[in-house]
Amino acid sequence: MSRYITRLRMRRTYKWNGRPVGEDRKLKRQYYESMSISVEGKTEDATVSLGQYILIEGDDDDNPFVAQLLKLYTDGKKKTAVLQWFVRMCEVPQNKRKLLGRDPHPQEIFFYQDRSCDNEVDGETILGAVQVGISRDILFVKLLWDTKSFRALDPELMQPPQSPKSPPPSSRGPQTRALPTPDPSVMKRAMSGILTRGSMSTGKMSSSEAESLHSASKLSAAKALSAKRRSQAVSGPQVRKKLDLCSECHTAPATPRTPRHATPSIPSRTAPARKPGNVLEEARARLHVSSVPESLPCREQEFQDIYNFVESKVIDGTGGCMYISGVPGTGKTATVHEVIRSLQQSAEQDEIPHFRFIEINGMKMTDPHQAYVQILQKLTDQKATPDHAAALLEKRFSAPAPKKETVVLLVDELDLLWTRKQNVMYNLFDWPTRRNARLVVLTIANTMDLPERIMINRVASRLGLTRMSFQPYTFKQLQQIITSRLNRVKAFEEDALQLVSRKVAALSGDARRCLDICRRATEICEHSGSQKNSSGLVGMSHVMEALDEMFSSSYISAIRCASVQEQLFLRAVIAEFRRLGLEEATFQQVFVQHQALCRVEGLQPANVSEGLTVCQRLGSCRLLLLEGSRLDLFLRIRLNVSQDDVLYALKAD
Amino acid sequence: MSSHGHRTIRMFNVLHISCLEDVHTSVSWAAERPLLSVHIFTPEIRNVAGRKYLSLWREITGSTLVTMSKRRSLTEAQCVSLAQKLLRERLCHQKLPDRPLALDSQYKHLLELLRRTAVHGESNSVLIVGPRGSGKTMLLGCVLRELMSLKEAQKNVLLVELNGLLQTDDKIALKEITRQLHLENVVGDKVFGSFAENLAFLLEALKKGDKSSSRPVVFVLDEFDLFAHHKNQTLLYNLLDVSQSAQTPVAVLGLTCRLDVLELLEKRVKSRFSHRQIHLFSSLSFAQYVDAVRSQLSLPPDFPDPKFSDAWNHSVTKLCEEKSVEEILRRHFNSSKDFRSLHSLLFLSVSRVSVSHSTLHEADLLEASRLISADSKAIILHGLSILELCLIIAMKHLNDTYDGEPFNFQMVHNEFKKFIQRKSHSIHKFEKPVVMKAFEHLLQLELVRPVDSGVCKVQREYQLMRLMLEHGQVMEALQRYPQCPTDVKQWALSAFA
Repeated sequence: MSRYITRLRMRRTYKWNGRPVGEDRKLKRQYYESMSISVEGKTEDATVSLGQYILIEGDDDDNPFVAQLLKLYTDGKKKTAVLQWFVRMCEVPQNKRKLLGRDPHPQEIFFYQDRSCDNEVDGETILGAVQVGISRDILFVKLLWDTKSFRALDPELMQPPQSPKSPPPSSRGPQTRALPTPDPSVMKRAMSGILTRGSMSTGKMSSSEAESLHSASKLSAAKALSAKRRSQAVSGPQVRKKLDLCSECHTAPATPRTPRHATPSIPSRTAPARKPGNVLEEARARLHVSSVPESLPCREQEFQDIYNFVESKVIDGTGGCMYISGVPGTGKTATVHEVIRSLQQSAEQDEIPHFRFIEINGMKMTDPHQAYVQILQKLTDQKATPDHAAALLEKRFSAPAPKKETVVLLVDELDLLWTRKQNVMYNLFDWPTRRNARLVVLTIANTMDLPERIMINRVASRLGLTRMSFQPYTFKQLQQIITSRLNRVKAFEEDALQLVSRKVAALSGDARRCLDICRRATEICEHSGSQKNSSGLVGMSHVMEALDEMFSSSYISAIRCASVQEQLFLRAVIAEFRRLGLEEATFQQVFVQHQALCRVEGLQPANVSEGLTVCQRLGSCRLLLLEGSRLDLFLRIRLNVSQDDVLYALKAD
Repeated sequence: MSSHGHRTIRMFNVLHISCLEDVHTSVSWAAERPLLSVHIFTPEIRNVAGRKYLSLWREITGSTLVTMSKRRSLTEAQCVSLAQKLLRERLCHQKLPDRPLALDSQYKHLLELLRRTAVHGESNSVLIVGPRGSGKTMLLGCVLRELMSLKEAQKNVLLVELNGLLQTDDKIALKEITRQLHLENVVGDKVFGSFAENLAFLLEALKKGDKSSSRPVVFVLDEFDLFAHHKNQTLLYNLLDVSQSAQTPVAVLGLTCRLDVLELLEKRVKSRFSHRQIHLFSSLSFAQYVDAVRSQLSLPPDFPDPKFSDAWNHSVTKLCEEKSVEEILRRHFNSSKDFRSLHSLLFLSVSRVSVSHSTLHEADLLEASRLISADSKAIILHGLSILELCLIIAMKHLNDTYDGEPFNFQMVHNEFKKFIQRKSHSIHKFEKPVVMKAFEHLLQLELVRPVDSGVCKVQREYQLMRLMLEHGQVMEALQRYPQCPTDVKQWALSAFA
């Protein structure tokens, strides 16, 4: 969903109505019954009084919090409101939403019962009053949400506590129910009026339509919006759905229209993919890097460390940063995903509080500042420009919000988020330190000394010292990884596995490489298997062949397969280098040598054009490095292979 | 098949008419010549011509109209043009060969790989590396043709083709991918959204797919090395990352001629690449090369006129056995083994075939080879005036004296004046501005180049120059120069002549 609504902050002033109805001498509090809110530019004031349902400023301006006002008091300096919270469906954790067992009505809210929740807020965050009842046209309450399950709401709970010295206010939940339901369209208009005044936009129902108006930021558009909303409210969601369907089946439009509701997807295939047929195919499927293994062997210690770190932060409701480094293919991202998976499992079972997991990758964005956009979109499903997104996130992470769940943010390929001022990195590491942020940031990059190398002091200091480095796998670990992936599918000889893992461990310790080699070896085995009557297992020879294919340099074979003139030219280059005692020569110099060599070999000497063609051909393969191809005869030539390699390749035949 | 315009074969006296305008002109034309038969190809022309001119023709020539409807025996002219068309198509790479030449193992490997992507939904990445003209694109074309002939693959595989020379940055490449995949943010040929949105959209689309249910996508990245120069290698990282994770099955095929392409990849991109490389190095021997020439020039067995094709094929076989032809081919083989340069040689020789000259001759190959291996600068030298040639000789001497150090116009002029003073029989005494003009002409032809073009403060006469000619080139041009004065030739041989 995209929303480009720049909000005009309206200044509100809050005033007590009447005299205090009670006083607590001990706490130095004065209790009031109602408060009036006057908005700049509006003539009439809105009044909120005890028992009324009100909207509270939230981190998402389109969906302000809903609550019932229980008490209003001041301690001389600050106006404070005591509330009973209500939650919208979008505030219920994602994984719990299915507990409702039906699709929630867009206007449905739930009575929120949680002892741990802070129910006192700053009185100046109140936006205005709202109608709540049982009718479906306005916000309505039917169920109770106690962070574990939905339950039927006991009507007693809706009674506001009687304030000792004041009579109960007239417009109260239970009484609204008793009243005859007002004309829905009138109610609707009234409500949307309140909401527009309060936050310039309604709930999510109409905002999906509002997004289509790009000019929503303009004031004139705001009018159009509210008009639209009213008509929307009449037509209802069903009608809108039908309209959407129409626009989707609309084919070949005369003028291309911007696709607004495009869903990213790849078409599905006509027949499902074939399942692996034999042992080797099965092994190959299991060895593919993409196949998710049952467990991650050899990273138990790292797993435990990260798990403990994240778990403790989630339980305490605090924030923190962690930096994870390691060369590619050592299982950094996989381990973090594994940690999150098991943490989410225990959150399902209510062993730890719920948390949100968000993942961004420096390589998967076009610009470091897109990080804000992606985080915001994953967090709230909102679309915004980078600057706006940064501002919204800043607000979200610094504002105290009572019901906030911890967010675990994984930042992969951190080094790409580097900017000259480093403000992206700075923000990412600064947010967790805010008191109310509840943000855990896990960062991943390849180099161990990244913080020291590229970060300025204030960024590095905020990243902190919680670091972890993933060592390249040793050959035993690689072997264990393959064995556990194969999981009793017998496709490899033991020696062959050992050879692969030793070779890879010696070169890079990259598990991806190891798996790819094994996969290639199964292919080679399959092809040779038809000719030779072997055991059907992947043996040493197959693995050797695969290793050879992947690791051997192709320069030698390229030189061997080159044409006679090309080989002569390489020889001429070496001869000229030796003559000059330098590692660089111009084409003219080499060409003289080349012609001499041609005569020695009894070939017709090539002319300059032919010589240049040969030279360029070698250059395009990067056997030679050519500089200044504009210079024609004065083209500078260097070898990209060692002289010994060239001589070796030329000698062999 | 249709030869436009009327064309006659004098010895048979046959008139071909293939378009309507010809009919009118042909009547008067035919009136002057005795004809044996008239061939009219298109039916409507036949009708018009039949109605209008049949009696007229009969009156004039006494010949009858022969229609092309049933008999399939072609005249020689048609045969020649048909054969030429077939061969040209083959040599200009307009048609894929039935089977790639000498690349069987690579063909099998690649086909097997793509088949697994198409059928099993296995993601893969592979690089096809080979020098220019070694048949990378042709190999891929053949493999894709075979793959698409599988029923299972045909309906499922989505193909995305990119070229590093066209998609010069990731932004354009992403738009192109989205367009070719017909994702939902594409209307007509337009892709909506910013670069960042496009990337997010594509990644989301690829992420939503899974191995067994979404259609596999084959990404072909031609000139793969150029993609490695894009900023951060974002596109490569993401494509290769998809190929290594449980998302939409993809096959990433890179085509490149650089042997060091893996060194261009960043280490995290490299780690995600499967390190599969298919090398196309031709290990042809000369005998195989000659065989390839023969097969490339031979007409297929389904040629409409078997008699003509037999004769043609026979002549080609004989041609390949000739000593001088072998020499030409040997020379080409020595200079490069790839088929593209061979094709350009054969193309030039096939183009010389005409009706009066209906088989390939050794002379055709010789001429084609001469054209191909001609030295471009030697040709320019033949067009110079004597004065300009003299200046070149003067520069050559300067090069010899100062061992390749750059010279300026004044030095060249002095050298030239010295020559004129010694031997002024055949050459005029040119004024300095005239000589300057000649020098500037050489500059325009880029036979002479300023050492660094950035310096403008120096007067033109004193700007440092280099001669862009080899010693041998100058001498050879002088030998071939028509009516070159002897004293100039002698001067070229020795500075003090």
